[in-house]
Amino acid sequence: MPRPYGEHKMESRILQLIAALRASGVRVSLAESAESFSAVDIMGIQDREQFKLSLRATLIKDVKDIPTFEKLFPLFFGTGQPPMMGGNPTDDMTPEEAQMWAEAMKQFAEQMRQRMERLMNGEPLTKSELEALGRMVGLNQADNLNYQNWMAQRMMRALAFPEVREALKELMEQLQQMGMSRDRVEQMREMIQQNMQGMQEQINRFAGERLAENLSERPRGDNIDSLMNRPFQALSDADKKLLQREVKKLTAALRTRIALRQKRMKSGTLDPKTTIRANLKYHGVPMEIHHKDKIKKPKIVVICDISTSMRFCSELMLSFLFALQGQVRKTHAFAFIDHLESISEDFSGANADEAIQSVLWRMPSGHYNTDLGWSLQNFNDGYMDTLNSGTTLIIVGDGRNNYYDPRLDIFSLMTRRASRTIWLNPEPPTLWHGDSDMPKYAPLCDNVLKVGNLRELVNAVDELMTK
Amino acid sequence: MTNIFDSTANVKTELSKQKYIASDEIATIVYLSQKLGKPLLAEGPAGVGKTELAKGIASATGRELIRLQCYEGLDESKALYEWEYSKQLLYTQLLRDKLNDTLGKADTLAGAADQLAKEEDVFFSERFLLKRPLLKAILSDQPTVLLIDEIDRADAEFEAFLLEVLSDFQISVPELGTLSAKHKPFVILTSNNTRELSEALKRRCLYLFIDYPTLQEELAVVRLKVPDLNPKLAGQAVEFVQRLRKADMRKSPSISETLDWANALVALNASNLDKTTLEDTISVLLKHEADLQKAKRQYINPPPPQQPRPRNNNDEFGRFSGN
Repeated sequence: MPRPYGEHKMESRILQLIAALRASGVRVSLAESAESFSAVDIMGIQDREQFKLSLRATLIKDVKDIPTFEKLFPLFFGTGQPPMMGGNPTDDMTPEEAQMWAEAMKQFAEQMRQRMERLMNGEPLTKSELEALGRMVGLNQADNLNYQNWMAQRMMRALAFPEVREALKELMEQLQQMGMSRDRVEQMREMIQQNMQGMQEQINRFAGERLAENLSERPRGDNIDSLMNRPFQALSDADKKLLQREVKKLTAALRTRIALRQKRMKSGTLDPKTTIRANLKYHGVPMEIHHKDKIKKPKIVVICDISTSMRFCSELMLSFLFALQGQVRKTHAFAFIDHLESISEDFSGANADEAIQSVLWRMPSGHYNTDLGWSLQNFNDGYMDTLNSGTTLIIVGDGRNNYYDPRLDIFSLMTRRASRTIWLNPEPPTLWHGDSDMPKYAPLCDNVLKVGNLRELVNAVDELMTK
Repeated sequence: MTNIFDSTANVKTELSKQKYIASDEIATIVYLSQKLGKPLLAEGPAGVGKTELAKGIASATGRELIRLQCYEGLDESKALYEWEYSKQLLYTQLLRDKLNDTLGKADTLAGAADQLAKEEDVFFSERFLLKRPLLKAILSDQPTVLLIDEIDRADAEFEAFLLEVLSDFQISVPELGTLSAKHKPFVILTSNNTRELSEALKRRCLYLFIDYPTLQEELAVVRLKVPDLNPKLAGQAVEFVQRLRKADMRKSPSISETLDWANALVALNASNLDKTTLEDTISVLLKHEADLQKAKRQYINPPPPQQPRPRNNNDEFGRFSGN
């Protein structure tokens, strides 16, 4: 049976909302979107609040995503009511007042007069007028909801709103001078004020709706995908912000994967309780021995180069490690440029972004030279005891040492103390020349991974935690 | 007799009969979850009444509540079923004579083994199956409410294993085959959001986030559950709790703590929320030493203002009265 037009329109509207949710980074699966339709079938669309809740309960599965939904929903399913208009103050004018009004209006130029009469009559803008305004300010090219107010302002400016407002003030003054009573003028002013607000709201709503529609039409994921593959050096600040958000999503996925894949240690003390239980079926003869199950969580010591060239890579690595605290027994973090500092304290308790900010604030990058050799000497003096047979040592850096002593003696001692040494380097081996000491460090490491973009970093973290 | 909800308004009235005040949001999503036959995942801070919701639904619909409390290390044998080995052994001992009879008729060893194989089903039947909560909910003759409490405490593996139960309402027991539900249980999962749940699990559920209640809602709950508390004091108490929640505490007081506190105030026969009453009872609300100290500093004995100002006598109590 063909569905009535209205329903069909509602369906495509819901699909647009889902697309906009996805474009804003909410994960909505096909099953969930199908389910939202069955929920709407049950609850109907008469009650707006229930309609909203049926969509929300089926589409949104995370508290963090609720604000996104609350912001997008009204843009796709507006109340549909015309904006509040104050009414037409000319309706109940006495003939003398009307005379005065006509007199005063003559003083203004034609175009301005049309606009003002419009406001006086309290007519909302028509759909096609709004479309035209939108085209004028380039609303159709924008798909970022943060621009809603800005776009609305531009549209109002295109309507010469500020000038009209000024002109109206003048007009009121003139009317008063012509002898209209004070109360009457005040009343008119209020009504016009309301009309203006109504129109303003109409424009604002239109801008929001159009932006959200554009958002839902934006090809999904391409943006992030290309960013993930873009080298760290080529990222702009705006890109970095986008990526930081992506990192949060990636860590959530990584965490589940890692928790599932982490090796379980099958040695350790006997677990009498489960052993007896398991061997009941053998008449109590202990055929299957059960040990206390222990998950083998790695202990990590990470040394990050946070000089300007390496900063972003280190920052991302640190935010990964911080987010994965639960999967790690203990993390010691160190940062260096020309000397080494322990930054573990910055990571206790606070949230990842703040912690990283505080570290970067404490060790601002300047014009001094990266000196890994001296930093290793610092490590040797103060922190060598953090390395033992259960530790994974991770170095994040490009190994460019400005021709200082690379201190291979200390580095080889460190690698021997740690159970595993992994070096994350943004440069491929073909670039390891000049002041790069990588060719000397590399043979001492168990693994050197090239980490030039976010995707490679994610793979590296995955490998690190699951092997 | 079990009944079902026939509208969201009905959910609200039935739940309020069970002394559970459901917001429009909760009522709508509960109704939807029943209609769609989907599990309901309730998330939110501890003590906002997620478990109570399940209990309320169970008694409102007259169904049995089967509860599975999750914890780290929870596995299939504790959540699903287990063979009752000791009972099986006992039966073989006691039935030895009967077994001899049955097997005695056979002339050869192979014959005896065949005879025994015919009787095998006796020992692997539901008789020897120890039903754990999940299997119990599925095999129950009456429709039930299954509460899987604090799923975020269980391991990620356990979550994966729940998927079969939650999407198809069936359980495979190798010896018996697949057991399907006679009646689909109404499933409610709760989570305190201590870890991210897997996408697959979330996808199968309807999502309900229960936050701390508003002042009016909480007051209504207190009035309903602790009717002996005088209304003025109840108002003051709830307002104080709401203020504590806005402050940065290690553990914000939950509704259940508000109720405990309200009961304590009734027991102490308090008539006003004055300084001594607060000092005596605040430990019911706050469970961390640091929070206690902070609350005492900020709300009970606020530091004197820099500029001494004239104070009227009611000032001390006036801080906690609603306006």
